[in-house]
Amino acid sequence: MLSLLLLPLGFLSDGEAVDYGRDVRPILSQYCYPCHGPDSATREAELRLDRADVLGDDRHILVPGDPEASELFYRVTTDSEFEKMPPAASKKTLTSDQRDILKRWIQQGASYEDHWSFRPIGNPEPPAMRSDWPRNAIDRFVLARLEAAGLEPSPEADRRTLIRRWSLDLTGLPPTPEEVEAFVNDDRPDAAERVVDRLLSSIAFAERMTLAWMDAARYGDTSVFHADGPRDMWPWRDWVMRAYHRNMPFDQFTLEQLAGDLLTEPTREQLVATGFLRNNGTSDEGGAIDEELRVSYHVDRVKTVGNVWLGLSTECAQCHEHKYDPIGQDDYYRLFAFFNQSVEPGFQTRNGNAEPTIPVPSAEQERREQEITADIAALERWLSEVEAPEAALSAWTSEQRQELLALDPPTLSPWQALGPFQGPSSKAVFQKEYGPESGVDLEATVEGHTWTPRPDLADGKVQPLGLPANSALYLTRTIHVEQPGERVVSLGSDDTIQVWLNGESLLSKESYRAAQADQDRVTLKLEPGDNTFLFKICNGAGDSGLYFKLLGLPLPDPVIAALKKDAAARTDAERRAIRDHWVRSVWDEGQQRQSRIGKQQKALTELRQSIPTTMIMRDLEEGRPTFVLARGQYDSPKADQPVEPGVLENLLPLPDAAPRNRLGLASWLIDPDHPLTARVAVNRYWSMLFGHGLVRTVMDFGSQGEFPSHPSLLDWLARDFIESGWDIKRAIRQIVLSSTYRQQSIAPEVLRDHDPENRLLARASRFRLQGELVRDLALSVSGLLVDRPFGPGVKPYQPEGLWNEVSLNKNVRFSQDHGEALYRKSMYIYWKRSAPMPVMTIFDAPTREKCTVERQRTNTPLQALVTLNDIQFVEAARHLAERMIAAGDDFDTRLRYGFELCTSRPPDDKRRRVMREIFDAQWADYAKDPTSADLLVSVGESDRDGAIDPVEHATWTVLASILLNLDETMNRE
Amino acid sequence: MDPRIEREQTLTRRALLGHGARGLGALALSSMLPGVVKPAPQNGLAELPHFAPRAKRIIYLFMSGGPSHIDLFDYKPALRRIHGIELPDSIRQGQRLTTMTSGQTSFPCVAPMFEFQRYGRHGTWVSELLPYTSQIVDKITIVKSMNTEAINHDPAITFINTGNQQPGKPSLGAWLSYGLGTMNRDLPDYVVMISRGNGNLQALYARLWGAGFLPSKHQGVKFRSAGDPVLYLSNPPGIDGETRRRMLDGIASINEQRRQETGDREIEARIAQYEMAYCMQTSVPDLMDLSDEPDWVFDLYGEDAKKPGTFASNCLLARRLAERDVRFIQLFHRGWDGHGNLPREIRGQCKDTDQASAALVMDLEQRGLLEDTLVICGGEFGRTIYSQGTLTKDNHGRDHHGRCFHTWLAGAGIKRGFEYGKSDDFCYNIVESPVHIRDLNATILHQLGIDHERFTFPYQGLDQKLTGVEEAHVVKGILA
Repeated sequence: MLSLLLLPLGFLSDGEAVDYGRDVRPILSQYCYPCHGPDSATREAELRLDRADVLGDDRHILVPGDPEASELFYRVTTDSEFEKMPPAASKKTLTSDQRDILKRWIQQGASYEDHWSFRPIGNPEPPAMRSDWPRNAIDRFVLARLEAAGLEPSPEADRRTLIRRWSLDLTGLPPTPEEVEAFVNDDRPDAAERVVDRLLSSIAFAERMTLAWMDAARYGDTSVFHADGPRDMWPWRDWVMRAYHRNMPFDQFTLEQLAGDLLTEPTREQLVATGFLRNNGTSDEGGAIDEELRVSYHVDRVKTVGNVWLGLSTECAQCHEHKYDPIGQDDYYRLFAFFNQSVEPGFQTRNGNAEPTIPVPSAEQERREQEITADIAALERWLSEVEAPEAALSAWTSEQRQELLALDPPTLSPWQALGPFQGPSSKAVFQKEYGPESGVDLEATVEGHTWTPRPDLADGKVQPLGLPANSALYLTRTIHVEQPGERVVSLGSDDTIQVWLNGESLLSKESYRAAQADQDRVTLKLEPGDNTFLFKICNGAGDSGLYFKLLGLPLPDPVIAALKKDAAARTDAERRAIRDHWVRSVWDEGQQRQSRIGKQQKALTELRQSIPTTMIMRDLEEGRPTFVLARGQYDSPKADQPVEPGVLENLLPLPDAAPRNRLGLASWLIDPDHPLTARVAVNRYWSMLFGHGLVRTVMDFGSQGEFPSHPSLLDWLARDFIESGWDIKRAIRQIVLSSTYRQQSIAPEVLRDHDPENRLLARASRFRLQGELVRDLALSVSGLLVDRPFGPGVKPYQPEGLWNEVSLNKNVRFSQDHGEALYRKSMYIYWKRSAPMPVMTIFDAPTREKCTVERQRTNTPLQALVTLNDIQFVEAARHLAERMIAAGDDFDTRLRYGFELCTSRPPDDKRRRVMREIFDAQWADYAKDPTSADLLVSVGESDRDGAIDPVEHATWTVLASILLNLDETMNRE
Repeated sequence: MDPRIEREQTLTRRALLGHGARGLGALALSSMLPGVVKPAPQNGLAELPHFAPRAKRIIYLFMSGGPSHIDLFDYKPALRRIHGIELPDSIRQGQRLTTMTSGQTSFPCVAPMFEFQRYGRHGTWVSELLPYTSQIVDKITIVKSMNTEAINHDPAITFINTGNQQPGKPSLGAWLSYGLGTMNRDLPDYVVMISRGNGNLQALYARLWGAGFLPSKHQGVKFRSAGDPVLYLSNPPGIDGETRRRMLDGIASINEQRRQETGDREIEARIAQYEMAYCMQTSVPDLMDLSDEPDWVFDLYGEDAKKPGTFASNCLLARRLAERDVRFIQLFHRGWDGHGNLPREIRGQCKDTDQASAALVMDLEQRGLLEDTLVICGGEFGRTIYSQGTLTKDNHGRDHHGRCFHTWLAGAGIKRGFEYGKSDDFCYNIVESPVHIRDLNATILHQLGIDHERFTFPYQGLDQKLTGVEEAHVVKGILA
C-alpha cells in the first residue's frame, strides 16, 4: 500500500519547474566554476557562469527559452573532443540527468538568483494542514513535504522511548527507571513539557551543549604543535557551560566570545569568554619562525569563525579568490585583519598558558585574596599612622648617629682564588665540599689547585670569571676592623652562590643566573681583627662572574644619610625616613606587624600562584597593518594591497558606525539581517537532535553545500530564533516537543529503502550515541558516575605508554588519576591533542586540533573491543551487576532492572530467554572456576560489595557487560 | 570430549566464521541468525582502482626527524674539498633557515665524517653506515631530489603524511583505507608501529595516522609492543574465550532481534563488527607471535628482531602483516634529528635500521611479495650541508633542510638499481628532476591504481585531495 504511494525521492520530478538554487547552481558550481566562476585568476575565455551577466553575452552562451541555440547546452552535450565541457582534462563528466536539468532550466528562461543561503532569511508562513498531527509550526512544514511525497508520518514513539530520547539528546545521560516510570504514569496534559523543561534546566543540558561547542571551538588541554604542552583553558569551557545553563542568548554568546575584551569595562567573565579565539593550536618548536606561526593562528581563527558562524569555508581565499563562493582574497584578508591586531606572539610556550591571560580564582580563593590584601593594608596603615613613642625613637636615633660617626672603615685584603674544580654537573660541584668550607688555608693544595692572588677582581662592579661549565671557584679575603660591629655586603653571582664568614655559612643558593649588582645581601658580624670572608661560585654553563661591595651599617642608605646629619638640619622627609625605619624594624610593636606583612605577602604570592589562569584576547593599542599575502605566504605581504578590517560585504554590509574591530565583526554576525548566522545555528541544533541537519553539509552553506531538505522550515526556525531574542532553549524546546521529533524510529523496510537517510523525516532517526555518551551511559547505569560539573580535566584509565611513545624526547608521561576523577563525565577527560584518549577517538571523537562542527559516526571492531574489554566498561559492568543484584532476589527482577537502566524498557520474553541461558551456563562455569570469578569482580579501582558471593557477582557482571554492549543500549532510538 | 578440545574446536569454528564475511562467514552467520542479510561491505569506492594497480600493499618505513641525505646516499667526492669552507651565498640563495641556525655568523660546510663506496651494477655511492642497504641497491630506486617547503618538524611531518602542513587532513593510509577498503577480514587495513632510536626524539602526533575529515574508521591502528598489541584487545581478567563467545552470541542474538524490530540495517554492521573484533582477538596474537619464524629469519633481520618494539622486530611484523594482506603498514622510527651530535647519533640510528630494512626487501622478494608490495623508506626532510653549532674534528650538527633530501623505494613496479634526481655540489639545491613530497604521494597512489587528481572527498565545499590544491605529478621516471 505504502509503496504504491511513494514518489521518487529526488527533489525534481518530471515536469516540475527547476529551481535555480536547488537544481542548477550545484551543477554549475561543481563543473563550471573552477574555470568560469568567481576566481578571476583561473577564469577561462573571460566567461563567468556564476552571474546573470552572461545572459546578455553576444556569444549566445545562454539563450533563455532555447537550449538548442545556447552555446552552454551545446558544449555540455557535444561529443567533439575540442568543444566538450567540462574538458576531458578535468576528468569530470555531466550525467544525463544533469544535462536534462540544464536544458529545462534554459527552457524555463535560464533565470539566475543568488545562492539560497546568501539571500535574506525569509518569513515563511507555515502551511495550513488539515491533519491534526502537527503540534507546532515545524510539523506543518514537515507534513506538507511528506504529503507532497505521498508519505505519512510514523506513529509517535512510546513514552519509554521518548523520555530516553529526550534525556540522551538533551543531557547526554539516560533517564533513571524511576524517571521513566513517573513519565509513563503521568497523565497530566503537559507531562511531556514537564520532562523537557526539567531536562533543559539541568546543568547536564549545559554540559551536553558545551560538549558540542568544544568540538566547534577546537577545545583542548594542550597546545597541539611540537611539544603539545599543557595549557589551562577549562575556565573558558566552564564559562560556556554557565552561559548555556542560564540560557544566554546566542547573540550575546557570540559577542562575548568573539569580542568580550572590547566591550566597555568588560567583566572578568567577558574576558574569559574570548578564550574561544585562543583555543587554536600554538607552537613552541625551536626552529620556528615567529611570523609564520602568528599568521597561521589568525588563519585558523578566520577558518573557525567561518565554519562556526557562517557555515562557509573561507580557506581557499587565503591563497586565491574562492572558486565557488563570492569571497575574494581581499575579503579574506579583511577578515584576517580583525584578528591580526592581537598582541600574542607566534612563538608560544610548552609550559602552560601564553599571555595574554587572566587569573580565574575560585570564590574561596577570591575571598582569601581579599582577606589578605585587606589585612596587609590595615597593617600598613597602622605602621604609617602610629604615633611613635618619642623618647625611645630619639634615644635610638642619637645612639645610631654616634655609632655611625665613630665607625671605622674596614680594611679589605685582595682576593685569593682556588680552583676551578670541575665535576659531572653543576649540582655536583655545588654540593661537593672541596675543603675551604671547613677553614681557609692559603698554603693548602687541593686536587692540584693552590690559592692564587686575584687583585684584578675589583669591588662594586660585575667581574667576569671565565669558569668552564660545571665548575666551582673559591674566593677568599680578610676584612679587618678595630671595633666589633655589623656591616652589610652586597653580592651578585653567575651562577650559584655560597658565602661563609669565619667558617660560618651565611648564604647558599643554587641559582642559575647572570651576575648583577645587589642580587643578594648578607649582614656580616665582624669581630675585631681579621675576619675571613669566603665565597664559592659554581658555573653551570656559559658566562660566569661575581659582584662584591661592602656597605655600611645594616641600615637603608637614606636612613644612614639622615642619621649623619645633625638633628636640627634634617628635613621632614629625613625625619620620616628615620621614624619609618625605627617603627618597622626596631620597635617591637612595629616589627611584629612588619613581619606579619612579610608573612601575608608570602601567603598572597603563594595564593596567586595557585590561582589558575585562562588565555584571553587582547589587541595591540597601536594596531597592526594588514596586507594581502601573496599565495597566502606569511613572508609575502603585498605592500600595494593594504587592507582594513572588514566583513563579507556581499552577504551584508557593515554599517558605517560599526567599529572596525572584532566588536564590529561580532555585531555584523548577530545582525538580525545576516543571512547565515541564524540558519547555521539552528541547523546545528537540528543536526544534534536528528542526527543530521536540514542542510546536510552542516559546515558548508556555500554553493558547494547541499540544498536544504526543508528550506522554508529552516528559514522559519532561523527567523523564529532571531525574533525570540536568539533564545537557544526555546529553539531546542520547540523542536523536541514537535510531533516530527516524537515519531518512532522503527520503520518498515520499504520506507527505509525509499529514504535511507531519512531526509523527509517520515520517522525519527536512530543513531549510535557519540563516544562520550557511550562511556557516560555505562558510568551512569552502573551508579559509578561522579556527576560533578566544572573544573580542570581528569585522567581516567588509559593503556600505558600512549603519551610517551609519541612525546618529544620521551619525557611526557600520562599519570592516571584515582578516586572520583575516574568516574567523571567524559567531557572532562583531559584532552591531549597529539595523543587523545583512545576510547574517544575510536568512537569518532576528533582530535580537536581544528574546528569540527559535525562528527562522523562509524561502526568498527575496535569499538566492540573498547566496550567489551576496557577496564572502565568492565568495572561499570560489575557495578551494574551489584545494582541488579540489589534490585531483588529473583532473576527476573534483577534482569528487568538492568535492562531498564540501559534501555528504559523491560526485556521481552525472547531477550529474557537469551539472558537466562547465558546466566545458567555462566554460573556453572564460575562455580567450577571461582578464581576467574574473583578476577572479574576485581577489575577497576573501586570497591566491591564484599557481601555478594563472587560467583554470583561475576555471573551478573557478564550479563551486565552484555547489556552495556547491546545495540539498543548504545543507540538513541 | 575433553572440554578443552571442545573449546578449541569452537574457537576454530568461530574464527573461521569471521573470515570473509561476504563468503562462508556471512552464510554461516546468517544461517545461525535468521534474517541477517549480509554485513555492510567494507569495500572502498566503486570507481577505484582507476587503472590496473602495480601494488597491492605498502610498507612505509618512516624515518622521523629528518635523516641526513649527505651522510647516507647523496655523496660526491667533491664534498671532501668543501669541508670547512663557508657556505657560498650563491648556494644558499637567501633561503630561509630555521631560527635554530639563522643567527649563526658562520656556516662551515661539513663533508660526511664517514667513508663511502660504490655498490651494485651502477656504482651507487652508499655510506659505510649502511652495510646492509648497500647490498640491496640493485633492488631499489633512490630518489635524491625530494623536496618540501616545510623547515620544521611538526609542519614537515604533517605535510608529508597528510598533504598539508596544518592539522585536519587525512593521512595517506586513511585515504587508502577509504578509497580501496580492506583486503582482509580479521586485521585492520592500516597498521602503524612506532620504534625509537637513541637520537634526538621529535614528537609524533595522532594526526599523522589520523582520518582527518574522513570517517574515523579509516584511521591507522597502532600495533604496540607492550601491553595489548592492539588497544583493548585482550579479554578482561576472568573472561575466557568460552565466556566471550557466549557473550558475543547473546549480544548478536539480541541485536539481531532488535534489527528485526526496528528495520535498522546499521545493526547488521554492528553484529559483523563484533564478530570481527572476536576474530582479531585470535589473529592479532597469532600475528605478533614470532615463535614460528625460523632462525634464519632472525639472522636476516638481526637479533634485534627478537626484541619487541625495535625497528627490526617491527620490520618482521610488517612482513607478516603484508603476508596477511594488510593494505598499508607504516613504521615510524624516531631519533634522526641530528642537531648537535650528528656523527654519533646517525651511527646509532643506522645500526637500528639498516639491517632490518634491507632484510625486509630481501625477504619480501624471496617470498614473491615484492612484486606487489611497495616499500618506501624516508623522512620528512634532509639536513644542511653546513654545521649547526661548532664544527670540530669529530663532531658537528646539521640543521633541517627541506630543499633536498632522499627517499628510497622498492617493489611494485619501481625501477630496480636506479638513482633519480641530482643535487648540486653542496647537496643543497636540486639541479635535476626535483620530486616534491606531493609528487611522491601522487606516485604512491599511482602504483595502487589511483589517479590522484580524481581521488577526492567532498568536504567543506571542496573536492579534497591527498595531494592538495597545488599541482602534483607522478614520477614516471622511477617506474619500471
